[in-house]
Amino acid sequence: MKEKRTLMDIVWRVVLYAWSLTILFPLIWVIYESLKSNPEFFKDIWALPAELRWQNYSKAWNQYSFGQSLLNTLYYVGGSLVLGLFFTTINAYALTRMQFKGRKLIWGLIMLSLFLPGINALVPQYVIMRELSLTNSLTGLILLSSLGESVFYLMLLGGFMSSLPMELEESATMDGATLFQKFWRVIVPLSTPGIVTVGVFKFLGFYNNFLAPFIYLSDPKKYPIAVQMYSANKQMEFTADWVTLFAGVTIAMVPSIIIYILFQKLLMEGATMGAVKG
Amino acid sequence: MSDSTVVKTPKTPMRKLLGLDKANTQKWIFLFIAIVPPFGGYLLFTLFPNILSVYYAMLNWDGFTDATFVGLSNFVTAFQDKYVWRALTHNLIFMITVPFFVIIISLLLAYLITNKTYKENKFLKVLFFFPNVLSTVVVALLWAFIYDGSYGLLNGILKFVGIDIGNFYWLGNESTALLSIIPAWVWGGVGLYVIIFANAMLGIPKSLYEAAILEGAGHMTRLFKITMPLVTPIIRVSALFLVVGTMKGFEIILIMTNGGPFGSTDVIGLYMFNLAFGIEYRNYGYASAVGMILFVILVTAKLLIDKFVPNKGYEY
Repeated sequence: MKEKRTLMDIVWRVVLYAWSLTILFPLIWVIYESLKSNPEFFKDIWALPAELRWQNYSKAWNQYSFGQSLLNTLYYVGGSLVLGLFFTTINAYALTRMQFKGRKLIWGLIMLSLFLPGINALVPQYVIMRELSLTNSLTGLILLSSLGESVFYLMLLGGFMSSLPMELEESATMDGATLFQKFWRVIVPLSTPGIVTVGVFKFLGFYNNFLAPFIYLSDPKKYPIAVQMYSANKQMEFTADWVTLFAGVTIAMVPSIIIYILFQKLLMEGATMGAVKG
Repeated sequence: MSDSTVVKTPKTPMRKLLGLDKANTQKWIFLFIAIVPPFGGYLLFTLFPNILSVYYAMLNWDGFTDATFVGLSNFVTAFQDKYVWRALTHNLIFMITVPFFVIIISLLLAYLITNKTYKENKFLKVLFFFPNVLSTVVVALLWAFIYDGSYGLLNGILKFVGIDIGNFYWLGNESTALLSIIPAWVWGGVGLYVIIFANAMLGIPKSLYEAAILEGAGHMTRLFKITMPLVTPIIRVSALFLVVGTMKGFEIILIMTNGGPFGSTDVIGLYMFNLAFGIEYRNYGYASAVGMILFVILVTAKLLIDKFVPNKGYEY
């Protein structure tokens, strides 16, 4: 349907473009400045650089030990993702499609989490982790991040699983499949879209997680990228090495951008679901 | 075919009997793996600390030496602590402004991308959501660059259009730091709500609008008589989320200013965080008491909003 264009349409388009500009402009600006030299940047933030200094990126990579923090990130995000995704999926299956004693009680206790803001639990949680010698350890962080319940993920996956017909499982049982086989060969493949959605959300959550690594890791050699960028900014206050920091921030954005390009539709759908149900 | 049936039939009861037993053990092993690690983790890392925080709030404890039980005196101290009140005032400012701007801006953008047929709308929707996938650290650093006094983008733009305010540090000044954090927070949050509101608006049946057009209703009438009332329940839920989220959020402030300068951007969550994990001074007991106050405020706010904001949905 073609709409009649009026003068107001120009105004509305300007509004849309204005907001787009607030998003794109700072991002492009950071990338633009990351290719200058420090003196060029200090002299005039608008002037074009004499040459594009891609070496800022290798300098940022070395100076902020991106190699090490990338390994830390891979270990922490990968470990939490694999462990967390497995437990979330099997947990959702047990809680939505199996009957057992105590199921209602477990659901009730999980629902309680909707009322807990969590912030008052930070200190006791830290003390518990310390008692278990899980502080200053990426493995400890993986356990903290992947063992737990989330109403959002349970609803998302549970909703998906409960829409699968019961006959599927029954016929698998008839064929002599064990419960584990049924879970792996029937439920998991059929719930893949839901599992992928949860996986993408978990990935972003872990990759972007700042507070937990910041609280629990005291050794800078163990920092994942997010915390590493924070401390890079702190260092910059003394070194005034702006362009390298710009390059570093740009590098830190790359994984988010890749994930977003690959999964934007799924992310936008999942986000709505979370807000409506959660 | 009949042969195999005849052969199999007598065996079935035996197999079933055995299978049932085996299936039962299997079921319990399966349930053990499926329930114990995640639910146990939840009990240990979420529920238990929440209960424990009530007890911690009554201790005087630096986290290392022996704790002393001091009853409710931490709460008395907290109520007399001017920093607590200052932080709560800042919370109140954020709690009103951030959700307000997020909702207004995202409603407008959502309305435009769903009700106008500009060809770039699809792309804009994707672009608008992008800040939501960035980490808080990146968002906070981007805005710290914008607000920098000597080389910041904001002063650069102002100078470019002829307003030279010198090296004014937006985040380094007590009078502007608090207000400067608001746009950063709004910027990081709008995208999600654009998507939520846009989807809600897309869910409204076209027939309603067509009928309204036939009756001679203009753009504004349609907006305020059809669109707005039908998305009100979603706005309500979103507002609740935003208010509670802003009340307890402090990461972006921690990164941008860490409460400074001179505590002018401190919020209650950050105050608690620095009491517990700060560099100079640690008091787990007092931090927990402040955390409990925040807990009570948040739960009360949630219950009050649930009770007093009318929850009327519309059927269509």
